[in-house]
Amino acid sequence: MYKLLLCWRYLRTRYLALACIISVMLGVATLIVVNSVMSGFSTKLKDRLHGLLSDIVIEASTMEGFADPGEKMARIRALPFLSERIEAMTPVMEVFAIMQFSWPNGERVTRTVHLVGVDPKSRNLVGGFKEHLVQARSKPGEFSFELSPEARKRYEYREAIMDLQQRAITPVDPEQPPPPARTPKRIKVPCGVVLGNLIASYREKAGTDENGTVKYVEKYPLGTDRSEVIITTIGGERLMPVYDNFVVVDYFKSDMSEYDSQYVFVPLEHLQQLRTMQNRVTSIQIKLRDYATAPAVVKELRKMFGKDGVRVETWEHKQGPLLAAISIEKGILNILLFLIIGVAGFGILAIFTMIVAEKTRDIGILKALGASNGGVMKIFLGYGFLLGIIGAWMGTALGLSLTFNINAIEHLLSNITGGEIFNREVYYFDKIPTNIEIWMLVLVNIGAIGIAVVFSVLPAMRAAMLHPVRALRYE
Amino acid sequence: MHPLLRAIDLQKTYRKDANRVEVLRGLSLDVHEGEFVSVIGASGSGKSTLLHLLGTLDRPDSGEIHLEGKRIDNLPSEGRDKLRNHTFGFIFQFYHLLPEMTALENVLTPAMIANSAWSWWGRRKELRRQGMAMLERMGLGQRWNHRPRELSGGEMQRTAIARALISRPRVLLADEPTGNLDASNGGHIIEVLRNLNRDDGLTIVMVTHNLDIVQESDRVVRMVEGRIEPAAALVNA
Ligand SMILES: Nc1ncnc2c1ncn2[C@@H]1O[C@H](COP(=O)(O)OP(=O)(O)OP(=O)(O)O)[C@@H](O)[C@H]1O
Ligand SMILES: [Mg+2]
Repeated sequence: MYKLLLCWRYLRTRYLALACIISVMLGVATLIVVNSVMSGFSTKLKDRLHGLLSDIVIEASTMEGFADPGEKMARIRALPFLSERIEAMTPVMEVFAIMQFSWPNGERVTRTVHLVGVDPKSRNLVGGFKEHLVQARSKPGEFSFELSPEARKRYEYREAIMDLQQRAITPVDPEQPPPPARTPKRIKVPCGVVLGNLIASYREKAGTDENGTVKYVEKYPLGTDRSEVIITTIGGERLMPVYDNFVVVDYFKSDMSEYDSQYVFVPLEHLQQLRTMQNRVTSIQIKLRDYATAPAVVKELRKMFGKDGVRVETWEHKQGPLLAAISIEKGILNILLFLIIGVAGFGILAIFTMIVAEKTRDIGILKALGASNGGVMKIFLGYGFLLGIIGAWMGTALGLSLTFNINAIEHLLSNITGGEIFNREVYYFDKIPTNIEIWMLVLVNIGAIGIAVVFSVLPAMRAAMLHPVRALRYE
Repeated sequence: MHPLLRAIDLQKTYRKDANRVEVLRGLSLDVHEGEFVSVIGASGSGKSTLLHLLGTLDRPDSGEIHLEGKRIDNLPSEGRDKLRNHTFGFIFQFYHLLPEMTALENVLTPAMIANSAWSWWGRRKELRRQGMAMLERMGLGQRWNHRPRELSGGEMQRTAIARALISRPRVLLADEPTGNLDASNGGHIIEVLRNLNRDDGLTIVMVTHNLDIVQESDRVVRMVEGRIEPAAALVNA
């Protein structure tokens, strides 16, 4: 009983103990905030990656891809085990390419891109495409690379005018027999292309909202249905350069800068024709009804296509290095941050050693009154435990309130320092994402309390081992 | 019949590096039930050491200590903790109250040590009443909520006596209880001890080097060269 009372009294009368509590509190709060933000970032990132990549990819290991994807998909559908679990499939051809275009001011741009031929119809079923298109996402129905009717008309007029000019240049000689009637020319309207958002757009500040958040608008100088780009890639058996004109019809905005700054989408069939690689693709993307079945499906697909020189992987496996890097980063950060609590632990050790020295006489008194060594030890262990609990509890409260208000705090700090701390242009999130995990809170609390107790063991043992007579003679 | 407390041929030597301080050199002493014994001797003669040995706060190098015929100096530490809690009451020259606690809490400390938090909770009213009664008996009923630093020396010593008595000990071991007090306060403390001895039959062993207060006690023994001087020599003193 005296242990509890003394713990409590020591807590209330030693202001040094406040230092221990505050250091534990700060450590715990930091851990909670950092973990919540890291976890927020990584879950957001995972969500986005998964939203972009289909569940499973069957991928050719060479650039020429594999032939007859239709036959492969038919084989997959024929197997009940797979067709039951697979919701949709879509063939894709990916290849590097060079793209040229001009800004409205006439400046020409040439850059390499990642060219993707997609089949809009089946891709819409697999997902991860239309919902990222700046224009089409808000429109009902399926996405297609078709130009709008007005744009088509414009191209038709242009062709007609050029035709008229042609005729006007060649004068009609009445002496000569009339020239053979012109074969009606097939009007060539360029195919549509979807550009990655970061390739041809920029962000402009558009004032601030009522909270002081800087608002941005995206500007697309190339617009839609009016600008042409020239895409050059390689085709044919000899991999000769091939090129074609395309008209920008939409922009792809996944908020993953790696994709938005590289990817350019054209219709699959058009790309196959351009490269004279009819009926060849580089991958088949598969959407599952339930992602939990992915390992079984991958296994079955590997069995089916094992000899065809293709890879079968889940999206997580494909992004393995990135996801692993994130989790390693998180682990290292946690170890480093626990060192903060470790520092708090040494603070407890030092302060407790001082308190034990200061209380030497009192320890002697307690022993003279019949307190056991264990009882004296428990006073200081209990004291450490109490400091740990209070520190951890306060740290949890502080950490949670910081996490919940992290965006407001960021604004405040940005306003004070005058610079943007969380640059929305860099991070691509309009808010700092957070994700509070219960098990993380529990672990951090247990860890902090554990460290507080562990570091009070040594001073507590010292107190327990004090010889009562020496303690009583201590002045 | 056994004496209540008996020390037989106690030896105690403090060693520090090559230095040896032989404090007790074969000291024997009997204390009978209900006796008020004063131990006098020069400073450094080992009076405090003797008291610590008798109260099981320390162990002799050799010799034995018996309580009602049972040897107690070689008990394991739990047994000794219990004895200090129940059987011996200590008061010291410098009062040795716990500064964080009120007078009442100080008085109740031995009871808190004896009871777990659980049984304390069950008996807290009864124990508090006992503590209050003890303080009132020491004339400190009004001061129960004061911290030691808010009390005078005499009041602190009376609080310490109340604490020593709360667990109804068999023997009160007092180490210069008046050493830090002026004559009137010291006299008051001695009077309290005298009354406890006479009215309650409490056995008291008191160490002092103040010869003025020893006549209140039943018997005075003098320590010389680590032993109790033969009674004959005392008469001349
Ligand atoms: N831990 C120790 N190490 C070495 N010597 C010690 C130790 N404790 C006590 N002594 C010595 O033992 C002797 C007896 O000490 P003790 O305190 O018992 O004397 P005392 O008679 O109570 O003296 P006083 O009247 O001043 O209180 C002293 O000379 C002291 O210096
Ligand atoms: Mg002494």
